[in-house]
Amino acid sequence: MKKWFEDIQKIIVETQIWKSVFRHGYPDTDANRALVMFSNVILHLHPVRVRRGALKIRFTWCLGGLTFFFFIMLSITGVFLMFYYVPDTRRAYNDIKDLGTVIYFGDLFRNMHRWSAHAMVLSVWLHMTRVFFTGSYKPPREFNWVVGVLLLVITLVLSWTGYLLPWDQLALWAVTVGSKMAEATPVIGNAGPFGPEMGFTVQNDIAFVLLGGTVVGQSTLLRFYVLHCLALPLVAALFMAIHFWRIRKDGFSGPL
Amino acid sequence: MLSLGIGWTGMMGALGGTGVGALRFMFPNVTYEPPTIFKIGTPGEYGAGVDNRLKKERQIWVVRNERGLYVMVAICRHLGCTPNWFGDQQLFRCPCHGSIYDTMGNVVGGPAPRTLWRAGVSLDTVDGQIVVNFTQRQDPDPKGTPEGLMVEDSVREVSPFFIPLA
Repeated sequence: MKKWFEDIQKIIVETQIWKSVFRHGYPDTDANRALVMFSNVILHLHPVRVRRGALKIRFTWCLGGLTFFFFIMLSITGVFLMFYYVPDTRRAYNDIKDLGTVIYFGDLFRNMHRWSAHAMVLSVWLHMTRVFFTGSYKPPREFNWVVGVLLLVITLVLSWTGYLLPWDQLALWAVTVGSKMAEATPVIGNAGPFGPEMGFTVQNDIAFVLLGGTVVGQSTLLRFYVLHCLALPLVAALFMAIHFWRIRKDGFSGPL
Repeated sequence: MLSLGIGWTGMMGALGGTGVGALRFMFPNVTYEPPTIFKIGTPGEYGAGVDNRLKKERQIWVVRNERGLYVMVAICRHLGCTPNWFGDQQLFRCPCHGSIYDTMGNVVGGPAPRTLWRAGVSLDTVDGQIVVNFTQRQDPDPKGTPEGLMVEDSVREVSPFFIPLA
């Protein structure tokens, strides 16, 4: 029986499929440990060398990794929600209600999405606070700090665009207030400094582009849906790739 | 070793639970589709012959002969197009590939391999209206004859696909 089992194991691990997936043996030697880091796409995101002090959980608190984890959670649960949600003002609210009554685990997926979103905003703030207090924004990492600030802005805009999608009173007025703020943008907003002088009115300024009109309506819902589900996640993923690549190049800061 | 087992069991349980949940999520409890069981009024509202008025709304023809009333599904048995009713010829003709059916649903021309479906019908005991079950389909094996694919009326005019009327 044991020999029979070993024969099958031998046949499996010698197939081309197995060898193309697992390109080296167990990471029980220094050479194999290095190969693991080189050949695994997830693990290779980590810097090749890390200072002992920077590996302590109490140095990073894993906040960047947690933020990435929440982003993955949001992507997966978001795809599930997209199967039932239609960005149509006549049915968007009912589609959200249906998640709670008509669809098995619909509330679970929606709440996972909602709470992951809250948690992601929180962990981004805490991550940046940690980076600030440990001085990790200083050269040579100042470029990555700026990428991080862009990711913060994308996170907040993702959160804000998602806020509109349930199409309830809270969503409508929150976005109305937010678009009033866009109207007050200097130079490109109709109510901002130098905006009227530049010829901007409610019909052609930055808030009009954002809302697809002068009030929050069907075109706003569709624009926010496309931004929330497609455009912003793609941009966020691009900047995250740059962010992780810079971490790998710059290494972790931290005590020796 | 025990803690490792508990760990693996827990992880597999969590993964399995997530998988089952995600799969179940894809099957909603309510679908917003046209009803498959619906009422179409009392038999008195339908005169002798083929009634074409519900074709667009319900995809059916209501037919009344000297013995009673039946409902045919307006789906061509060749590739699923919607045939048209020609009152002057007393024939259904499919615009896609030219299948031709008579008022009983027999195939008298074209590529259709089977006769038209008849839908399940019954009379509501409270208001006397005809209740059509669109998904309950009568589909007898037809006999090949020189005139086309035929089915005996006695085979077709049985409960629950026929309402006998005096």
